[in-house]
Amino acid sequence: MEFTRQEMMAVATGREIRDGDLCIFGVGLSMLAGYFALAYHAPNAKAMTEGGVYGSTPVGGLPWGIEDNRISANATCFTGALDALGFLVASGRCDLGIIGAAQVDKFGNVNTTGFWEDPTSPHFGPPKTRLTGSGGANDIACGCKRVVIMLAHEKKRFAEKVDYITSPGYLDGGNAREKYHFVGGGPVAIVTTLGILRPDPVTKEMLIDSYFPFSSVEEMKANTAWDLKVSPGVKVTPEPTAEELKVLRAVDVTNVLKRT
Amino acid sequence: MPNKLIALQEAVSRYTRDGMVYSSGGGLPVGSESVVFGKEMVRQGRKGIHYLTHCCSQQVNLFCAAGVCDRVEAAFSGLEVYGFANGVRRAVESGRVLWEDWSNLSMTLRFLGGALRWPFVPATVNIGSDNQWRSAFKPDEYPCKSKIPDVTDPFTGKVYGALPVARPELAVIHVTMSDVEGNAIFLGTEWSRFELARAADKVILQADFIVDTDCMRQYPNLVRIPDLLVEAVIPWQFGAWPQCSVGVYDSDEDHMRAMNKMLGTDEGTREFRAKYIDSWHTHEEYLALIGKVAIEKIMNNATTHLMDPYRKWVKSDEEIKKLMKESKFS
Repeated sequence: MEFTRQEMMAVATGREIRDGDLCIFGVGLSMLAGYFALAYHAPNAKAMTEGGVYGSTPVGGLPWGIEDNRISANATCFTGALDALGFLVASGRCDLGIIGAAQVDKFGNVNTTGFWEDPTSPHFGPPKTRLTGSGGANDIACGCKRVVIMLAHEKKRFAEKVDYITSPGYLDGGNAREKYHFVGGGPVAIVTTLGILRPDPVTKEMLIDSYFPFSSVEEMKANTAWDLKVSPGVKVTPEPTAEELKVLRAVDVTNVLKRT
Repeated sequence: MPNKLIALQEAVSRYTRDGMVYSSGGGLPVGSESVVFGKEMVRQGRKGIHYLTHCCSQQVNLFCAAGVCDRVEAAFSGLEVYGFANGVRRAVESGRVLWEDWSNLSMTLRFLGGALRWPFVPATVNIGSDNQWRSAFKPDEYPCKSKIPDVTDPFTGKVYGALPVARPELAVIHVTMSDVEGNAIFLGTEWSRFELARAADKVILQADFIVDTDCMRQYPNLVRIPDLLVEAVIPWQFGAWPQCSVGVYDSDEDHMRAMNKMLGTDEGTREFRAKYIDSWHTHEEYLALIGKVAIEKIMNNATTHLMDPYRKWVKSDEEIKKLMKESKFS
């Protein structure tokens, strides 16, 4: 079966969605993974955006933004951010959020804010590289029952400590989230370009749960800056089926996967 | 109620000043945003703006590139699929603009708290992350205790965060349609335009269409900003360009990219200013600048049916010109 790394990543992320889930997606690859799932195995899942577009599917290609015309053409409800991120995410009603990351650490904390020359300095000067900030990702990380993080598996992105915690994972691990009384459960998976990491049930350290058919435990470890541990039940991620690929490519009418 | 139609240039000179706390709505990277109002602020040379917004937009990108603002409080600093905002990046990485990070829910709650004149809003988000512990405005306070201070729930004893409320001096909000008095309906998601219109001391609308008040009497449930909140209404079709206005026009892909590219350098920003800000004065000249081909392209989108119920109340250019003469500002 011919498929790209990005297609494997999108299908693997999509499989995290269960039929009937209330979901919230970011733009780009996470939205593609989400709408693939809705079109393939989760027809009763519901999708919404951070600004309050409900019940729509993209028209004419993947949206430029979560508020644009392509995601607004066939919506069943327009409300606002207080409704979407407040009443539905902060309340704990939202089952699944998919967020992107520029950098992640071993407890699933996400950085999308920036990179600094010396991120440990007590002085918070201008970043060496400014990224996008939270958007609604911090809210999703705090409130959604399950969070899936997507990012490229590269050593500089898989850091012992992130430069800036934009969206909390399990913080220092264990039950650290309890101190903040977060409604949501934290990240259930980090889907990378090489495989899938899932948290240890007790320590909450992210472990290799499976590796993609074209990858290996060794390759994942070699591209991670911390000593990445392996889950006892580690396995190969099932490759995308012909039917999955057909549906994914139909959703990706503007060829996002070829550009990423 | 009075007719509050106002010319773009007059609205900027009358309601904006250097150093003010300013906000725009929807405050979005691709969607609804008062972009043309921001261009006029650049033309009139405003400086020292403290900008409160949900997200970066081409207005924020322009303000950062052109040195209009020196402080921004926002949840998001990119242009979504259009990429990183080059003007913002340059200004923030050089330290010329201080960018204070929040999230989309915390900005929403800050506007809500401002609207209700609450002292603060309890936060269940942004706590336990660097959004709480790091502050661009207080760079030597680490971990920062005064950006989102701890607050104890008096009922349970649990510790949460206290979000400061947001009270812009002026909010300039893009709406799909308004009547001459400032009753407004928007198509697409409102994000926090409802809360922002109530948090700000003064509100100006920038409307793609001016409609008869009979439209509001037909759909009063849809009027999310009523006239009593509004100071003035600027009729300006395509005022969110190159961003989109759901139900009317799409984002202009070519110009979104070209504008962001130009804002990536000082020289490009000067070129942008000469070509897209200083070169026009009237709405006709503005439309000529966008160009017939681009207008045709952005008008051809999948959402135009959303505007259908309202078309019979839309005022023509001739009617708007006449109404402008009857305005309290004329």
